[in-house]
Amino acid sequence: MPAVVEVRGVEKDYPLGKLTVRALRGVDLTIDAGEFVSIAGPSGSGKTTLLNLIGCVDVPTQGSVSVDGQATSSLDDNGLTNLRLHKLGFIFQTFNLIGVLDVFQNVEFPLLLQGGMDKAARRARVEAIVDAVGLTPQLRQRPNELSGGQRQRVAIARALVTGPRIVLADEPTANLDSQTGANIIDLMKELNAKDGTTFIFSTHDAEVMRHANRVIRLADGLIVDDGRGAPRAEVPAPASPA
Amino acid sequence: MGVFLRIAARNIMLARRRTALLGGALALVTMLLVLLLALSAGLSDTIVRSATTLSAGHVNVSGWHKLTSRDAAPIVMDAQKIRAIVEAETPGLDYTIVRHRGWAKVVSEATSLNAGLVGINYAEEGRLMAQLQLAPTSEYKDGGDDTKVGDFSEIARPGTAILFAGQARRLEVGVGDVLTLSTETSDGQSNTGEVRVVAVAKDMGMLSNWSIFVPTQTILDIYQLKPDTAGAIMVYLKDIDRASETMDTLRDVFMRHGYGVMDHNPVPFFMKFESVAGEDWTGQKIDLTIWSDEVSFLQWVVTAVDTISFVLITVLLIIIGVGIMNTMWIAVRERTGEVGTLRAIGMSRRRVLLMFLLEALLLGFFATVVGAGLGAAIGLAVDAAAIHVPVAAVQAILMTDVLHLQVQLTDVLAAIAVFTVVTALSALAPALRAARLEPVTAIHHIG
Repeated sequence: MPAVVEVRGVEKDYPLGKLTVRALRGVDLTIDAGEFVSIAGPSGSGKTTLLNLIGCVDVPTQGSVSVDGQATSSLDDNGLTNLRLHKLGFIFQTFNLIGVLDVFQNVEFPLLLQGGMDKAARRARVEAIVDAVGLTPQLRQRPNELSGGQRQRVAIARALVTGPRIVLADEPTANLDSQTGANIIDLMKELNAKDGTTFIFSTHDAEVMRHANRVIRLADGLIVDDGRGAPRAEVPAPASPA
Repeated sequence: MGVFLRIAARNIMLARRRTALLGGALALVTMLLVLLLALSAGLSDTIVRSATTLSAGHVNVSGWHKLTSRDAAPIVMDAQKIRAIVEAETPGLDYTIVRHRGWAKVVSEATSLNAGLVGINYAEEGRLMAQLQLAPTSEYKDGGDDTKVGDFSEIARPGTAILFAGQARRLEVGVGDVLTLSTETSDGQSNTGEVRVVAVAKDMGMLSNWSIFVPTQTILDIYQLKPDTAGAIMVYLKDIDRASETMDTLRDVFMRHGYGVMDHNPVPFFMKFESVAGEDWTGQKIDLTIWSDEVSFLQWVVTAVDTISFVLITVLLIIIGVGIMNTMWIAVRERTGEVGTLRAIGMSRRRVLLMFLLEALLLGFFATVVGAGLGAAIGLAVDAAAIHVPVAAVQAILMTDVLHLQVQLTDVLAAIAVFTVVTALSALAPALRAARLEPVTAIHHIG
């Protein structure tokens, strides 16, 4: 399978007042098309930062990120926006649906941003994807009328409606109970198997990461296990208090 | 675009209280603007109507006659010939009338005042007679009542006069009383004549303070003028907006006919005595003016109303603009997370900007449409109700004793357009801030 994500020597620093926090400290990673990958690690290990960089919503301080063969450092804001619109889908921990739009309109929204599809084709596409996530009866309901699990299903449908190469999900089950979370992961896995869409999701829940075909483990901004073999980096033990 | 409109409309509806307060304020200011514009337009309309009834035609062909280089008489010689030229060569002419002008001390048994004399030919003055209304005796006599006495048509008889109520009150006279007119002829001799008051008209604002109507013959007699003279040939056009253009045409016409024509001086004839007397020529010159020149001294009223309106509306607009800007800042802050999501799923900066601007535009448009509609309705209702203005000073400024508001569609549309644009401009800074948010910062915003 060809690589859809290539991360090379990526470092990411965040200014925090007068200090600089190093979120990623030289990450190398390759993810192939069709993989169902979990990025695991404790809070503060750099999972979200890595997802943000792959999702082109942030840029690295050092190193390079390529998405579907496109080096993100060579793109301006419009280029990155287009890459996100056409190649990537996002699922958020807090669902992040547009409250004033109903299920159909939320799912339809990325298609409207893309343009070029007539109304009938758009409707058919949205209804098919909403049906795939099992929300046809809720098609005209607003997000505040849905349960957490249903909202996350809408988010999945919205992420998939444009037929992206990669779907990124940041802690997609963190705000759901364990049964609903398991159902969401099962749904994602089913869609991955069906369409071959690459799924990359972050989690620190061991139960959730059991569903992944590959688990990439992060600790203190470094990949300690890329899920393809031996651990890649030694993480220094935290210093003992004096 | 449809989905952006839908999002904008629903966000407006979501913040109902905020929308109601802001939209209500915007609607109120728009309503006020429409009413002030209607007042200004009504005032202008009244001035035009009063001016072109009492003291001027749309274009005035008057003249100055100088026996010596140091005097000046506002007389047109050979009036019939000049009138014939005007009637033959004025494009878009409706009709002409001839009036005579004078200035006299008007003496009653009780007191006296100085007033302009306007010599009229009753048969030609249908326009004037349609405008004049008999004043009830209560308006000019102590102990008077609603009875209206007198007859305007009596002015066709020699030795008669029509006064306005204010003048009659000051002179302490009524219909049937006799006044003495005392004046100076063009060769410097004093002369007097008597006139009987045949009607007292309701005041028509400031212009009616200094005009007393008498028959043409009275002016000719008291000034010892030849019959073929006039004060002015007043030219009425089918379209008043062509007055200036017609005046230029007539200037060329008279020059072509060999008349001396004075340079255009846009002030009324009675303000020209000194300047004309100082000019070094003798004989006759034609003086052409348009209606607004003859009432240019009243323009300050419209300017004052417009200035007060402008200052008031500007201050209110600034307050509203700050309110809108503040509201949009709050909206952007509240929806920073949403902006982050939209940017993440592929919305461009331009579209984020558009989304927030559209929200402000939509609010501005609907609020101003409601405000302008209310303003227009109130303006029309007030005008239709012909509300009496009780204070004489206000009547003088408004040129009428009833409140006249003229609602014009162009003013209503302009108010809607200006306020909608101001609303959008007020929202520009917050919308730009929203568009410039970095997706990663916006997504993780908590607030």
